[in-house]
Amino acid sequence: MSGMFQGFLILSAALFSIGAVGVLVRRNPLVVFMSIELMLNAANLALVTYARYTHTMAGQIFALFVIAVAASEVVVGLALITGVYRSGRHLDLDELSEMSE
Amino acid sequence: MTVIFGIAAGFAFLGALGVVLSQRTLYSALSLVVNMVSLAVLFLLLDAQFLAAVQIIVYAGAVMVLFVFIIALLSPGAEERVRPLELRMLLGGVAAIVFTLVIGRLALNGITVGPNGRLHGGLGPFAPTVVNAHGQVQTLGEQLFTTYLLPFEVTSLLLLVAAVGAVYLSKRRRVEQ
Repeated sequence: MSGMFQGFLILSAALFSIGAVGVLVRRNPLVVFMSIELMLNAANLALVTYARYTHTMAGQIFALFVIAVAASEVVVGLALITGVYRSGRHLDLDELSEMSE
Repeated sequence: MTVIFGIAAGFAFLGALGVVLSQRTLYSALSLVVNMVSLAVLFLLLDAQFLAAVQIIVYAGAVMVLFVFIIALLSPGAEERVRPLELRMLLGGVAAIVFTLVIGRLALNGITVGPNGRLHGGLGPFAPTVVNAHGQVQTLGEQLFTTYLLPFEVTSLLLLVAAVGAVYLSKRRRVEQ
């Protein structure tokens, strides 16, 4: 049983790292947002794993809150991206950081 | 159990790689769907049936539909190509492996898991058999509306603020000249 536990945690760490690298490496803001979702999901997996193996409920409750936060974050972020696109700029994070005023 | 874990974990891993490595944004979104569904299977393995359902409904349903809709609306196909063997990607791959090792080591260190592979600190009252006998959703709901009532209400406020903010941001503004 403890082997499964460690497997879940390693998988969670791997997913989180892939998401973090995606945030750092990719330039498309949509892909960056998806990588952030990936990181939040990896954190959720770790929370639920600990909740299951410590026989507590707090991890699952907190995972629910994380899902709510992620949903609202996506809503606001995508509204921002459409706003940037509508103002006629190229959707590239490197260019956008230089054009901020 | 272990076989299902292996299959779901492999799909989750491949989906995550697909998100970061895909050339086209739409493929990234579809890889993310694969990742979400595999995570729902993993939640089922962890006796979190309600969270698995929420994961499918909220993520694979609402959030990913929003993503695909925005991708179709903007069609940002002109992103410059990211070749997997670019220096940036190589550095990113090395960083991912190092991150994984460090976080995994921290997660599995002596604070949480002792040398015999057992968890420290004792076990809580919510054993999976107890929770399933009482009802998974009932237990979650009782906890949510008693112990965690304040965070729950704050979350509802957050959702309201997000909805108002999205409406404000996507409102078409007149160009003042």
